[in-house]
Amino acid sequence: MEEAPKQSYTPTEKNDIFNNEFLPHINSMYNFGYRLTFDQDDAKDLVQDTYLKAYRFIESFQQGTNAKAWLFRILKNSFINDYRKKTKEPSKVDYQEVETYYNSEEVDRQITPDLRVESLKDMIGDEISNALNSLDVDFRTVIILCDLEGFKYEEMAKILDIPIGTVRSRLHRARNLLKEKLSQHAKSMGYKNTEL
Amino acid sequence: MTNQVNPFILADGKKPSCMEMLQLILDGEASAEQQAYFKSHMDKCAPCFKTYDLDITIKELLKTRCCGDSVPAGLVDQIKNQISLNKAS
Ligand SMILES: [Zn+2]
Repeated sequence: MEEAPKQSYTPTEKNDIFNNEFLPHINSMYNFGYRLTFDQDDAKDLVQDTYLKAYRFIESFQQGTNAKAWLFRILKNSFINDYRKKTKEPSKVDYQEVETYYNSEEVDRQITPDLRVESLKDMIGDEISNALNSLDVDFRTVIILCDLEGFKYEEMAKILDIPIGTVRSRLHRARNLLKEKLSQHAKSMGYKNTEL
Repeated sequence: MTNQVNPFILADGKKPSCMEMLQLILDGEASAEQQAYFKSHMDKCAPCFKTYDLDITIKELLKTRCCGDSVPAGLVDQIKNQISLNKAS
């Protein structure tokens, strides 16, 4: 990720790094690929492509550093450069919104005052997953990285090539959108108000 | 009551909003000092108190409901084979 000096690994070391530092993340990588593309074959291609690239550029990887973040970054770049170009899916994030976030009084306003913990706990099927999948790709991505995979803001900034302030504001906006979706769903389940 | 300095205040002197503080807490990005400050803040701030539970619940549900699927069978072997082929060529 950083411009580290090139490493020099023996073939055995390369295999060790690949097997012990790269491959353990493959389930997370596949989940990421699938939630970006919603297609099993495309997800498989993205993951395979990522691992082939990781192996090819293994000498720019410093053993013992954050392999998972490095792999996520490669996959995200493959998605943008290869997949997105191919399918011409436009980016839909409202960047204006992101920029004005820090100077905005809106931040503290409660968007979904009627969403309750109890109604969330009753969503026992795919509701949460579907709500996540319904978000635009850039919002979906920050939630995947932060909440599903537990990356720190600093790591997310490096994976996504954006400043930490943008990570935070995009995450904030993504969560509000997610709450809106969940709130709509809760309403449709009949949680309109407290019991009459 | 002591006039506690808000440890969330940014380098530029701007006071962060409740939601900005809450987000740092939720994501494990707050220092011990910030955590202590927020804990006492929550006693006085109903919106934070309410949103905290909700946000924690959503974060936990995302983790448990949206992870855990395994990669399709055969993909790891496919990748390893491809690497061997590339090496041979
Ligand atoms: Zn508050």
